[in-house]
Amino acid sequence: MKRTFGQALSLYGGLLLIVLLIGLPFWWVITGSIKLPREIIQRVPTMFPESFTLQHFEKLLQASDFPVYLINSMIVASFSTAFTVLLALPAAYAFFRMEFPGRNALYRTILLAYAFPGVVVLIPLYGLFAKVGLIDSPVALVLVNVAFALPFSIWMMRSFLATVPREIEEAAVVDGAPPTTILVRILMPLIAPGIASVAIFAFISSWTEYLFASVLIVSDARRTIPVGFAGIIGQYQIDWGLLLAGATAAIIPVVALFALVGRWFVSGLTDGAVK
Amino acid sequence: MKNTTLAFLFVSPALLFLLAILGWPLVQAVILSFQDVGVIGSQGQYVGLANYSAILGGAGFWRALGRSIVWVLGNAVVQTALALATALILNQKFPGVRIARTWVILTWIVPTVVVVIIWRWLLSSSGGMINPLLIQAGIIERPVGFFATRESAMTTLILINSWRWFPFTALMMLAGLTRIPGDLYEAARIDGAGTFQRFKRITWPLLQPTLLVLGVVGTLLSFNVFDVIWLLTAGGPSGATQTLPVLIYDTAFKGYRLSEAATISVLTSILLMGFAFLATRAMTAQEAAR
Repeated sequence: MKRTFGQALSLYGGLLLIVLLIGLPFWWVITGSIKLPREIIQRVPTMFPESFTLQHFEKLLQASDFPVYLINSMIVASFSTAFTVLLALPAAYAFFRMEFPGRNALYRTILLAYAFPGVVVLIPLYGLFAKVGLIDSPVALVLVNVAFALPFSIWMMRSFLATVPREIEEAAVVDGAPPTTILVRILMPLIAPGIASVAIFAFISSWTEYLFASVLIVSDARRTIPVGFAGIIGQYQIDWGLLLAGATAAIIPVVALFALVGRWFVSGLTDGAVK
Repeated sequence: MKNTTLAFLFVSPALLFLLAILGWPLVQAVILSFQDVGVIGSQGQYVGLANYSAILGGAGFWRALGRSIVWVLGNAVVQTALALATALILNQKFPGVRIARTWVILTWIVPTVVVVIIWRWLLSSSGGMINPLLIQAGIIERPVGFFATRESAMTTLILINSWRWFPFTALMMLAGLTRIPGDLYEAARIDGAGTFQRFKRITWPLLQPTLLVLGVVGTLLSFNVFDVIWLLTAGGPSGATQTLPVLIYDTAFKGYRLSEAATISVLTSILLMGFAFLATRAMTAQEAAR
């Protein structure tokens, strides 16, 4: 159908507003990271950079602890992602493709994980981790990140599993294939987008996690980006150039990952919400 | 091997893991709330319901609860308005709609600490963009401190958190919108219904189930937000943005009153689970009535 002028105007006008609302703050931060300090704190800010410098990035990589935080975050996020996928995949298969007593009740119970604030489990977990010597260890962060990503990941696998016709599995069963083979050889290639979506979700949540990382990690050398960064913000004299460069650098990994598999993640999110 | 046994084998790793990392600590929190533990690692005595009567009798908990309710309602209003407008736009056909649907969620995938840096900088009085823009638009006369007064701190936090979350909400609404059959709009158009009429008679009523689910999920998610608040105001100025999660954190890790913090945790969890239970029951009842 053809749009009337008014409809086209409100569609593209609204679209422009959304792009500005989401994009402008990022534009200012990213362009700010290559401005000279005096341009950054100028009274009337500039929309387009009038100066160019890489000094903030140089300082970030050479004179700050950012590279250490970056490596720590990478390690924690990678392990969290791997374990989340490893645990979520078989669980989702059992929940959505197999019959067992108490299935629905169990499924609902695990979604309760999001019904209480994270800080509620932080207090007892601190005691538990202290007993087994996991304070100040990246292992503690991986355990927590996996636990909080898992329920949502299982939920999200549902829509991807639903796209695979049951006949394919049934044919394999008739051929005498054991369920583990069905899952690994037949289903996994078909639900690769689902696995990618779960992976990116687990990676993003771990990459962002602040609360647990701020309490369970004590030494500066083991901090992840969110906590390391927050420390820099808290300092008396704020070095905006450094922070903007750091923010830009912290965005890059998630944006790169999202460019690869973001499409599937969004479809998993929206298809899952319908059911 | 029997299928049931195998199903349990498949779910048990995930279940045991969740039980150990989330379930067990919850039980510990309940136990802790009946003791008088102060600093982490110290031993406590059983004190019965003393913590509960102290906290329910004091003002701190109720004030934080009030702030949490303001926080949740504020977020609900701002996010629903922004997300609905965004979802309606993303539900249209236009060149680049797929790219728009994917990248709209950008604010949600970047780390919270980056969101915090972005807005601290944009709102700062030296070099920030927002103050000059507002002055130019004639809304304010001189640069303002957005986190300086009680009301403006809460409002600013709600707006920043909504900025982070509205795209996520919009995608959930979009899922509900795409489920509305296109024939309905076609039939309404033939009957001569205008854009607004179609929205009022078709989109709005058919979107209700989605909005209800989002209302429940969104309430829980907003309620539990900690890092944005903590990193921007740490609950200040003078406690104006100290919601329940912030109060729990302060009590445990600043005040070193672990058992008190556990008690507030248990009370908060009961509140939230009660809300989730009642909301789901109301939804099921409504579905049955339809």
